[in-house]
Amino acid sequence: MANEPVGVLIIGAGASGAAFAWSIAEAGMSVLCLEQGPWMKQGDYPSNFIDWETRGMGPFATSPNVRKLPADYPINEQASAISPLMFNAVGGSTILWAAHFPRFTPGDFRVKTEDGVADDWPIGYETLEPFYATNDRMMGVAGLAGDPAYPHHEPPMPPLPLGKSGNVVAAGFEKLGWHWWPSDSAVTSREYEGRAPCINLGSCLSGCAQGAKASTDITYWPAAMRRGVQVRTGCRVREITVRADGMADGVLYYDEAGALQEQKAEIVVLACNGVGTPRLLLNSRSPQHPEGLANSSGLVGKNLMFHPYAAILGIFDEPLGGRRGPTGCSIWSHEFYRSDPSRGFVRGYSLEAVRGFPPGQTSLWGMARGMLPWGGGHHDAFARLYDHATGMLAIAEDLPEETNTVTLDPELTDSNGIPAPKITYALSENSKKMLAHAIERAKEALAAAGAVETLDEPLMSAAGWHLMGTARMGADPRTSVVNEWGRAHDVRNLFIIDGSIFVTAAGVNPTSTIQALALYIADRIKKNIGTLFD
Amino acid sequence: MSDATTPLRDPAFLQAFLDTLIPPGDDGRMPGAGSLGLGETIVARIEAAPMLGPAVGAGLAAVRDAALERDPAGFASMPPHLRAEVVESQLAAHPMLILGVGLHLYPAYYQHPRVLEGIGEPPRPPFPEGYTVDETDPALLALLEARRRR
Repeated sequence: MANEPVGVLIIGAGASGAAFAWSIAEAGMSVLCLEQGPWMKQGDYPSNFIDWETRGMGPFATSPNVRKLPADYPINEQASAISPLMFNAVGGSTILWAAHFPRFTPGDFRVKTEDGVADDWPIGYETLEPFYATNDRMMGVAGLAGDPAYPHHEPPMPPLPLGKSGNVVAAGFEKLGWHWWPSDSAVTSREYEGRAPCINLGSCLSGCAQGAKASTDITYWPAAMRRGVQVRTGCRVREITVRADGMADGVLYYDEAGALQEQKAEIVVLACNGVGTPRLLLNSRSPQHPEGLANSSGLVGKNLMFHPYAAILGIFDEPLGGRRGPTGCSIWSHEFYRSDPSRGFVRGYSLEAVRGFPPGQTSLWGMARGMLPWGGGHHDAFARLYDHATGMLAIAEDLPEETNTVTLDPELTDSNGIPAPKITYALSENSKKMLAHAIERAKEALAAAGAVETLDEPLMSAAGWHLMGTARMGADPRTSVVNEWGRAHDVRNLFIIDGSIFVTAAGVNPTSTIQALALYIADRIKKNIGTLFD
Repeated sequence: MSDATTPLRDPAFLQAFLDTLIPPGDDGRMPGAGSLGLGETIVARIEAAPMLGPAVGAGLAAVRDAALERDPAGFASMPPHLRAEVVESQLAAHPMLILGVGLHLYPAYYQHPRVLEGIGEPPRPPFPEGYTVDETDPALLALLEARRRR
């Protein structure tokens, strides 16, 4: 079935798709977004229920392979050291994210220049700076201006309270003389543009019933729809279609009822994340593009980067009140962010203090660690762990490698019969050394903060939130998939705006940069609309 | 000497087993896991687990049989210390038993209102009341103020 053609067709309603839609709508073109998931209802989020922890492990689990909801597609992750995580809905993965909101630093765009590895980006921090600022305002960011690790910027809201656990851990960094700063967080610290302030539910990772945590279904999308953007949910795109001259002319998608639909468009924009985007490009083979759309470089699906995470936990004698408050947002440290040859690895990592654990999670990690026995000693052991533990995450800068890939699985398909993605990913020696270093430093910080015992998880396998690099940007069509403003080298009316286009990954969470890039690309399209296809 | 009923469908056995894993606390604040009516939910989850479910079922059957060998009245009639001994005696042959039950029992137990009260948490969902947290230490903020990039 054919639908009315549109000017701009965006595939994916997550972090980048929403930001792009809001901005591009200013150009006066008709804008439609196709999203395979539904609109979420805050009343359905687990924190409305006493068994919220269990619900968070089922229909709100972070892995699509665990959730297996109708909106999800399966992912073959057997050959990957890290499981990819995502959520499919209007809002995308921002529905379940922690809303930790660091920007990249200026040096993150100049990795080759600084350290002789990977590549420099074709754009720099200064190019994205105004879009970071717009995005901070649209998402609603709380933070403390003046972090010496960054160029000056002013978050629109004051920082979130650190809580006792954050105060304790910050004091540990202070004792060591190490850099720390309250995190920039996309969580309201006061009433903000119709959103209520955070009330410390501690359930960010299964959706925010208060609406204090920014997810794009409650930030960008209402504003974009007021500008006339349409969102069509329950629509799974099978392939991008092309004209005889190789230009994109729309998509074929399955609607909620499973019927195949055709949607024509003048511009097609991919916002499906670093796994979904290469999957769709590789599924869009045609005589004009036999290796998949926009893949003359052969780089679609290659250079997959996650952020390898290590978790470090401290157990304290004093109660920390730790499980309350925004889950992922407390303080960060860039003390070990830049290369130092004496450490035996290039680039670096950030440390992020997070909050403590709720009772059910405490019992599970206690059991897994052999620290929570069954029988007579159970209650005393639980009392020692619960509210006495707080954690830190080390987030390492992964470097691009062509052997880390997203390809199409030869057998696995989704519920519409579309080939599913297969992830092949191995942790580099550089990343392993980086994580080992990070664990020791984090333990040092926790001990300085007063921890009587420290534990670690050297590589969190279920932490593949950040999906980057699989359709990288660059000036040279032989070594990149899109140009410096997201336009496919091979297809002049096809744009990619998600984490796929990252050249390198930095050592911080990527969403702020993904959205700034989406706004920048929309801005470039608007400014060049008259000559866009020349 | 095995009963035809699967131990997962034997409420008295199951209650006693859950009470053995998490017994009532000495001071009365913490209930035993068997007394909270969690059995049905936990059984459903165990039975839905394709790998662990059969292993847990076999382990429970072994515990029940071992108890019957010691005491014809069965596991549920034994005093707590003897139940623990019987469970312990079967773990070498059934190493997934505790993990397979605990994965479902522990989160269910620690979300029960009586247990939340016992550990000092309000017995309610997080939303809509929420919680309070400590403000950022002003002394720490003063240190940052001196380091601010302007």
